[in-house]
Amino acid sequence: MRHVFEEELNQLNKDMITMGSMCENAIQTATTYIRYQTADKNAEIVDIVEQINHKERDIENMCLKLIMQQQPVARDLRTITSALKMVSDLERIGDNADDIAEIVSMNNIPTADVEAIELIDMAKAANEMLSDAINSFVKRDDELAKKVIDTDDAIDNYFNNIKLKLAEDFRDSSHNLDSVLDLFMISKYFERIGDHSVNIARWVLYMITGTLEGNTN
Amino acid sequence: MTKRIFKYTELIIFVTLISGFAAILFIFYAYFGTVQDKQLKTETAITAQAVEEGGLDYLRGLKLEDTRVTLIAGDGTVLYDNEEDASKMANHADRPEVKEALEKGEGKSTRYSDTKTTAMIYSALRLSDGSVLRVSEERNTVLTVALGMVLPMIWVFLILLIISWRISLKMSRQIVEPLNGFDLDHPLDNQDYPELAPFLQRINNQQKEIRQQKESLIRAEKDFVTVTDHMQECLILLSRKGKIISINNQAMKLLHADESCIGSDILYLERRVEFQRGLKKAADGEHTELILEYAGRHYQADISPIFSEDLKAAAGMVVLMFDVTDRENAEQMRREFTSNVSHELKTPLHTISGCAELLKSGGVRPEDSGKFVDLIFSQTQRMITLVDDLLQISHLDAGAADMKWEQLSLMDVVKSAENRLHGAAMTQNVQMTVSGSRPALIWGITRLVESIVFNLMDNALKYNRENGRVDVTVTEEDKAVRLSVKDNGVGIPAEDVPRIFERFYRVDKSHSREIGGTGLGLSIVKNAARILHADVDVKSELGKGTEFIIVFPKTKPTEA
Repeated sequence: MRHVFEEELNQLNKDMITMGSMCENAIQTATTYIRYQTADKNAEIVDIVEQINHKERDIENMCLKLIMQQQPVARDLRTITSALKMVSDLERIGDNADDIAEIVSMNNIPTADVEAIELIDMAKAANEMLSDAINSFVKRDDELAKKVIDTDDAIDNYFNNIKLKLAEDFRDSSHNLDSVLDLFMISKYFERIGDHSVNIARWVLYMITGTLEGNTN
Repeated sequence: MTKRIFKYTELIIFVTLISGFAAILFIFYAYFGTVQDKQLKTETAITAQAVEEGGLDYLRGLKLEDTRVTLIAGDGTVLYDNEEDASKMANHADRPEVKEALEKGEGKSTRYSDTKTTAMIYSALRLSDGSVLRVSEERNTVLTVALGMVLPMIWVFLILLIISWRISLKMSRQIVEPLNGFDLDHPLDNQDYPELAPFLQRINNQQKEIRQQKESLIRAEKDFVTVTDHMQECLILLSRKGKIISINNQAMKLLHADESCIGSDILYLERRVEFQRGLKKAADGEHTELILEYAGRHYQADISPIFSEDLKAAAGMVVLMFDVTDRENAEQMRREFTSNVSHELKTPLHTISGCAELLKSGGVRPEDSGKFVDLIFSQTQRMITLVDDLLQISHLDAGAADMKWEQLSLMDVVKSAENRLHGAAMTQNVQMTVSGSRPALIWGITRLVESIVFNLMDNALKYNRENGRVDVTVTEEDKAVRLSVKDNGVGIPAEDVPRIFERFYRVDKSHSREIGGTGLGLSIVKNAARILHADVDVKSELGKGTEFIIVFPKTKPTEA
């Protein structure tokens, strides 16, 4: 019985990593869209996001089944409850990537406008945060999880800088207001991706230490 | 084993006890029967003697418990019975013992008594007056005998069981103990049980076989690890389900893993979607090639299935990864080079075509046509220079194997270049000085040395300023001759220095047209220096000037 349980926990672990990897892929794809304006390939990201949603349902079902059938305690229970919480953050990240792709596909944002702000750097930073959050889960590394939580400020700084720059552009009537708004939305989505990554890191920390620090956003 | 031996011993003792008890019971029952018969006969004789002397009154005075005494007249009428009313009893003449006593003087019988409803034994004796005296007792049944023996037997049973339990436990332990103490690493050293010798011999043989197989396996694994760990490529062997079976040093370094990852899922080391997709394909029997990025370097990952002998399904997967960054970069440079060449050739062609078109259509005034012809001429010259440079570069790329090596004077080459550039220096108002020892003999290919010197001096002029200076110094050293071309011109930004030898690389792209040149000069210098085994060094400061130093070998290099 214990053996079956361990095997199922192992599978849960693997599914979580796979879902994390899908989200990383979604963000990277969205970033490529922004960078090269290749939004006509939008179908690709829709496919990824669908897979992410599917995986979320699978993992949720698995967690509930494990809780009901195996009645886990202590660390195992923490692992399963954390997984339940983490999948919803991962799913949100997938949705945010999808939203970004949708904006890029609907409106043509001039590359020069994208390059004028630190959006690509912000996207890279957000992607790195998610990668680190997933790595902290894979390696059960509480130090790395703490690092992710601390990096949130960097993402917020990016967002604030971009917001200030876009506000200036907004006042300057020579700018295309549509693309200013689009870029603002996109940067907000990246900021949300950063927040979700922090949530994931917090749940990883809870899984390892048993205490939940701070509030999840 | 102890348990089993104990169980069987106990069972044997139990069965022995039960059967012993049954046998004793059987023997005792027969013996008791005979004893009772004799006793009854004696009792009858004594009672008969007493009745002969004391008559019926004696009988009436008798107090008996278990014995029944009956006096029967010669005709069978019951005269007295100590347990029943004699007058109510039936005629006893037909009773076998009575019949026998009347005939023979004494008689006996064993039968079921209707009156007493149990098995009875009877003994009868004929008295002198012709009457018969009968004494009877209840016969002992097997059960009564057994019941009489039960209590002592139970005690005996219990005591025996306890003793046998202790003994059999000890005994079974004694049997098993040497077995547990067997040294199975050296089975033949165990002499406790000669009966086990063939068994131990077989263990010994099998152990030898296992040892040999283990050794050969370890050797094979060691060989495998030695080979794979010294590979430049990363090699990972996976089971069909993606579990790591083997991973070499390079792969562990690349994926930040250690030996403990063996046996875990590859997903923990590389989770990228495209990689996992490749693994899935490999499990289904398809080969995949991917380019993955690790810390800024590109790796090609080949994921292939390993087929089992029946060739139906993949038994496992092998992942081979190798650094293709240089190849990718070279490919990138090749693409850039092609696009640069096309661009550089196309630009003068457009000018030429435009001018020619205007001249052809007669849209040019006769007095202006000279300018257009000049333009066409200068652009064709530009193209010729470019094509010459390209030819030279491709020649250098091919290794310039057909060129002649000889001893030549570097100073002569520098002087001749100075003469060629004198006019240009005058026009640009740049002072050019040449100093150094003569003749400064070096071993090289004249054309290549000329190219190097001319290109460096030409650049020093081009990227100079009004009233600037170009100092060319030739210094002889022990085994080499050093050429320094120093200017106090525009200089090169530090971040561009590593790239100036790239083909078509221009530091200041916006002014390159005015300055002229193909962007191939320094590339030619570098390639020619490579072939001549000369060292190239650049020192530059933005706004202050640049110094190129080339160190030519004096003697023929061994490789040449």
